[in-house]
Amino acid sequence: MYKKAQKVVVVLLLGLLATAFMAGCSGKSENSEVKLDEGLETIRVAKQFGLVYAPLMVAEKKDFFSKYGLNVQWKTLGSGGAVREAMAANELDAAFMGIPPFLIGWDKGVEAKIAAGYTVSPVSLVTYDPLIKSVKDFKPEHKIALPSPGSIQHILLAMELEKVMGDPNALDDNLVALPHPDGAQAMLSKKDIVAHFTTPPYLFEELSKPGYHMVLDGFDAFGGDFNFNVALVTQQYHDNNPKGYAAFVMGLNDVMNWVNENKEETAEILAPEFKIEKEKLLEYLESDGMNYTTAPYGIMGFANFMKESGYISKIPEDLQDIAWENVLAQIGKREGKPSTMEKIQWAK
Amino acid sequence: MGKIKGGGFLLRRLFSKVFFILTVACIWEAVKAIGGYSDLLLPGVMSILRSLWLERIQIFHMTLFSLQIIGIGLLVAIVLAICATILAFSGRIFSEIITDVLAILHPLPGIAILPIAILWFGIGTKSILFVIIFSAVWPLINHFYTGFRSIPANQLEVGRNLGLSGLKLGRDIMLPASFPHILGGIRTGWARAWQASVAAELVFGAAGGNGGLGWFLYKKRFMMETPGVFAGMLVIVLIGIAVEYIVFTWVEINTVRKWKTIIN
Repeated sequence: MYKKAQKVVVVLLLGLLATAFMAGCSGKSENSEVKLDEGLETIRVAKQFGLVYAPLMVAEKKDFFSKYGLNVQWKTLGSGGAVREAMAANELDAAFMGIPPFLIGWDKGVEAKIAAGYTVSPVSLVTYDPLIKSVKDFKPEHKIALPSPGSIQHILLAMELEKVMGDPNALDDNLVALPHPDGAQAMLSKKDIVAHFTTPPYLFEELSKPGYHMVLDGFDAFGGDFNFNVALVTQQYHDNNPKGYAAFVMGLNDVMNWVNENKEETAEILAPEFKIEKEKLLEYLESDGMNYTTAPYGIMGFANFMKESGYISKIPEDLQDIAWENVLAQIGKREGKPSTMEKIQWAK
Repeated sequence: MGKIKGGGFLLRRLFSKVFFILTVACIWEAVKAIGGYSDLLLPGVMSILRSLWLERIQIFHMTLFSLQIIGIGLLVAIVLAICATILAFSGRIFSEIITDVLAILHPLPGIAILPIAILWFGIGTKSILFVIIFSAVWPLINHFYTGFRSIPANQLEVGRNLGLSGLKLGRDIMLPASFPHILGGIRTGWARAWQASVAAELVFGAAGGNGGLGWFLYKKRFMMETPGVFAGMLVIVLIGIAVEYIVFTWVEINTVRKWKTIIN
């Protein structure tokens, strides 16, 4: 009797399946392909939201890439992790990320190299607890927010911890991974977290409130300037599209210079995008320590520390391993003692 | 069909499971070899197992944490679901309200309420617990309610004719008749609780040292340790299998199969 019932159930479900299948077939729609401009090089670039993307947003508004014959397809992705995964899966040709996340990807075999430095920006650990004056003052119950494990903020904190306490992982159990806006919100409501390792504009926002002070300056932890982000281009794109690559680098240089020369106009263009007042945005753009540059700064400085602390398994033997020729040419190779440009690629 | 099987049968089942796992592993390696995928995109079986072994202590602690929080969440959700079902059967108005609430909230993924959970409960275990309870409670109510409503009237009448009433009628007729639904509800609730806990931790990580397997996946993802990500997923799958074959199958054999309230 049960056997018979089983058979009936199977027939019944098969009937349902057939119905669903037929409905699925009739509902199928044609995919429309996006037609691209003939004769233009195309590059797929990841974009995230944040003040650091200001030059890119200007470039998009003012066609800084198209004048070099480059058509940029912007792909908006939620997190640095997703950007790196998309690069590994060849869904992206270029992206911007911090040097430590790039090195983690490089170590794991993501085939991309630095095509340009991308800004130097303050990045600092802020707290509202008056008793916390240095990283040594954090108690086990004190939560510290930063964007993600392996982010530039995480590595800077680890560098400082190694210097001060001899253990880069001393505060790992205190960390909470929060995107910058969520972290800032939690900080300003003094809820859950006591400290936030962040960047402008959130950094300025927090420091402008009474009682909020800096525990650690990223430049101090590193021992010099470093690119907050670097522009990465995949091996595949670099090798197969030299024209597109050149146009991308030139467009970046062009827009970066333009932003430096025209901060007021930049603020005007971007104020509606960031939904903040023009004056405030200008203040951020002109704040101390912000440097809109494509020059490489400190691109080798994280590798040694990250290797010693186990974040990566190998260090680049040479700049060539992590940077494309235009960056290598900028740095140069002085005979005899290293040049200033060569020296500033390393942390002190 | 509903009999409890002997030792030989168990051995044969075990053998077929092992055979299945080996086949999957072989196909896996073949896909990796043919496609020429790197360890970053598709790690080999051995590197996944190596990662599992290297991280065993951390994985163990995080698994305990996950199981603990899911256990608490599921228990609370079951209690809430029982209360809601009792309410639904104690008056027409309640039953309509619960049906409406269910229609509104059941399709809402638990993870979608995470932003609100963070606003109300802050970043940490409480928020994850809230998301777990929210995710599990609706399918539980749905199954419990459907289960008791779909008790065949003729069975109830037969019971009454036999002179059963009150608690006895509940125990001997209503519970066995609705138990397949109750069990199904708990199964769905358990799965939803797992999904919710992993998803919540993947979105905002853990608060400090307290983290479950979702936090493990999150960390491994950001370190681009794909074998570690697969190792974490493997543990989740293994726990799922263990609970399915040990807990749920045992309950099923001793209840609905014994009572023959299902056809398989």
